[in-house]
Amino acid sequence: MSEELVIEEKRVFMTGNEVVAWAALAAGADIMYGYPITPQNEVMHYWSRLAPRYGKNFLQTEDELSAGFATAGGVMAGRKAFTATAGSGSVLMQEPMAMVEMMRLPTVTVVQQRGGPSTATVIYSQQEVALTTMGGNGEGMRVVYSTAGHQDLYDYTIKAFNSAWKYRFPAFVLGDGYQAKMREPLTIYEPEKRGITLLEPEPYVGREGKPGQDRPPAQYRNTYNLEEELYEKLMSDIRDFEKISAEIAEYESMHTEGAELVIIAHGIVFRAVGEAVSNLREQGLRVGGFRPVTLRPLPAAQIKDLVAGVKKILVVESAYGQMARLLKETACGAPCEIHTMFKPGVGIAAEEVEEKAKEILHSQ
Amino acid sequence: MQIAPVMPKSWRVDNKPHKFCPGCGHGLILKCLGKAIDELEIQSRVIYGCDIGCSLLSWDFFNLDTVQAHHGRTTPVMTGIKRARPELLCIAYMGDGGGYSIGVQHLVGAAMRNEKITVIVANNTQYAMTGGQLAPTTLPGQKTETSPYGRDPGATGMPFQGAEMISAIAADGAYVARGSISHLAQLTGFLKKALKNQIDGHGFSFVEALSACPTNWRTDAAGTWEFIEKDMAGYFERGEIKVPGQKEATADA
Amino acid sequence: MTDRIVEAYIGEYASGKSESAINRALELTRQGRKVNLVDLDLVEPFYTLRPLQKELSSLGLDVIAWKTEETLGLGEAGTVIKPAARWALRREGDIILDIGYGVEGARTLNLLEGAVRDPDLKIFAVINVSRPMTASVKDIVAEVSAMGRVDGLVNNTHLAGETTVELVQAGARIVTEAAAMLGLPVVATLADTKLAEIIGPADCMGNPVRPLQRFMPKAFW
Repeated sequence: MSEELVIEEKRVFMTGNEVVAWAALAAGADIMYGYPITPQNEVMHYWSRLAPRYGKNFLQTEDELSAGFATAGGVMAGRKAFTATAGSGSVLMQEPMAMVEMMRLPTVTVVQQRGGPSTATVIYSQQEVALTTMGGNGEGMRVVYSTAGHQDLYDYTIKAFNSAWKYRFPAFVLGDGYQAKMREPLTIYEPEKRGITLLEPEPYVGREGKPGQDRPPAQYRNTYNLEEELYEKLMSDIRDFEKISAEIAEYESMHTEGAELVIIAHGIVFRAVGEAVSNLREQGLRVGGFRPVTLRPLPAAQIKDLVAGVKKILVVESAYGQMARLLKETACGAPCEIHTMFKPGVGIAAEEVEEKAKEILHSQ
Repeated sequence: MQIAPVMPKSWRVDNKPHKFCPGCGHGLILKCLGKAIDELEIQSRVIYGCDIGCSLLSWDFFNLDTVQAHHGRTTPVMTGIKRARPELLCIAYMGDGGGYSIGVQHLVGAAMRNEKITVIVANNTQYAMTGGQLAPTTLPGQKTETSPYGRDPGATGMPFQGAEMISAIAADGAYVARGSISHLAQLTGFLKKALKNQIDGHGFSFVEALSACPTNWRTDAAGTWEFIEKDMAGYFERGEIKVPGQKEATADA
Repeated sequence: MTDRIVEAYIGEYASGKSESAINRALELTRQGRKVNLVDLDLVEPFYTLRPLQKELSSLGLDVIAWKTEETLGLGEAGTVIKPAARWALRREGDIILDIGYGVEGARTLNLLEGAVRDPDLKIFAVINVSRPMTASVKDIVAEVSAMGRVDGLVNNTHLAGETTVELVQAGARIVTEAAAMLGLPVVATLADTKLAEIIGPADCMGNPVRPLQRFMPKAFW
């Protein structure tokens, strides 16, 4: 007999992967398909412990290809299905995600980035931005939330399920090994009690009635015959995606108004940037911070505004410019100087950001 | 006067004739499958999955809810559906390339876990859609576009015994058989028993169907028949290999 | 009866096992005792004693744990048990064991030569009521029952920097109730030094309070 899930709103102390498992429960997820890879394992550990209690399911598949395609199957059957992966697992995950994009399937994938290309080095990394936003042999029709800590992991995992089912594009929660393993307090809650309506899933296949008699058969393919046919299908999806982009895009900004230098970072690195910005402000320096929360679609309008009104930008990443490339495309033509601080696969502390910011401010 | 051919009730009639080459084995296997579905009266519960390769041409073949997946990935898609909605009956249909090469880990994983789905692999000894390349099932000496001097077992191995492998790794409750388009009544029977095994919730079910590809074999009707009945039969034995409740089923049931 | 103290700290993921073990070891060191602190976290290399070795050694502890440079593929390749850890019970002095989490619970102790028959060994389960898996009496009872042999509970209820006296006391009430149901003693309530001063030598349930200095936030990696 399964229990009814009751999440009393309160402060709790958790690790990031655990937060994801609880958030998936709160979001009404029905089934997880996954394959072990550090640093996402405890998402599966906690989900597989909690799932049977609440009448939910878990399947450990033979690899990430299978996890991704089974997740596609789960949502086609009309269930809220999700998976979690990292590193070389993310690479394998691109194949199923390409099909998912093409069929507009509302999967949710949690990616806990790790240093690459490598085995081990599982903590500091923002090197799966290109993969998660634009991986696959397609056009990156995906919603990607980059989280900066445990409250984000909780909030955006819940949101990812809703965005996926609302817009019918695959959604991703992009964390990293640091967030996965870090321990900090957060508030857990039931979304409905916060006024968040959880969208109900709908089956793509296996609806009531005899196909061909009571209803037409539901038939999905990934094969297109003519280039024109594929082009039409893709352009229709791209138009849909562009139409909803502004509505999906999210960002956080601090002291950007009138700032001489704005430091841009996403995910956990923005924690260091935020601290650096506060310290620099206290020192009387006109420095601001900007964080795209969605990396796909980017908050394009806000980025364009930002780069039009500021002299200097500093992009900070635990990668060698994977987000900067996305930003530059949006900011193309802006007159501001763009400085960078790229440390692929390495953690970034507030002090180093501060130092770099001062260096930039002092150089004329 | 035109006489309408007899088609299984579960077939879609509006888009027939089908898209396979004349003499292709797929149409025959799918006819047997259609008959099995009709006889079991399960049309409302079946989810049909087809792969890449010529099997994809069946994506709108039936009056069944259908998903056409990537090469070799039909098995995990059907696994995903079945795990999410156990009341549905999931069929993964693919060629020998999808089943035994690019998707073999999925087939092994599904069999090992005793997934309650039905996998059907059409074995025509080569990759047909991509123009006739070497497959795990290619016969020794057989010429393909990537074995232009004939398959050399010393370099590329022997024809893969897929059904036997599945039988060796699948748990009790699994059903494994190999049929052929040269014996349609037997093949229909195997497919029916495989689906029944899923309906009864016993476990994994698997049918390999020896199929024909005259287009890539460059054979006429007589040559096609001979290749299936003589050449292929020398390596691939027809019959039930694993039947729930029977410890060791012998071939040629 | 010997004077030797042998304690193993087990518990749920992120419950504060290492923190409890470190502070207990230091408490004994301050009493002038010779103490060995052993890292038996085999599950994963995060938040273990490894990064703290130098600091803890300088405080007078004998720490048995890997040094980062001795390892390969840390985080990916699993944690290899250090041979010295296997024979830790043969060492002279007190032995404090930090056991990692996992479904195996106290069974990790089977890996320790002589653990089963060691007359001095006590196994304590560390509980943080702020963790959802061990938030209620019912959950704690279920969790501890699944761990295998347990000789006592430790209340380590906290919310990192947000911890209050009320929170620690609420934890004490829940952990004490669970302990009673399990027929086990509450060995101690742990609280940061400042909070411990306010609470005094015993918590609201009469359990002894051990002041705690937090080392583990520095031990992430």
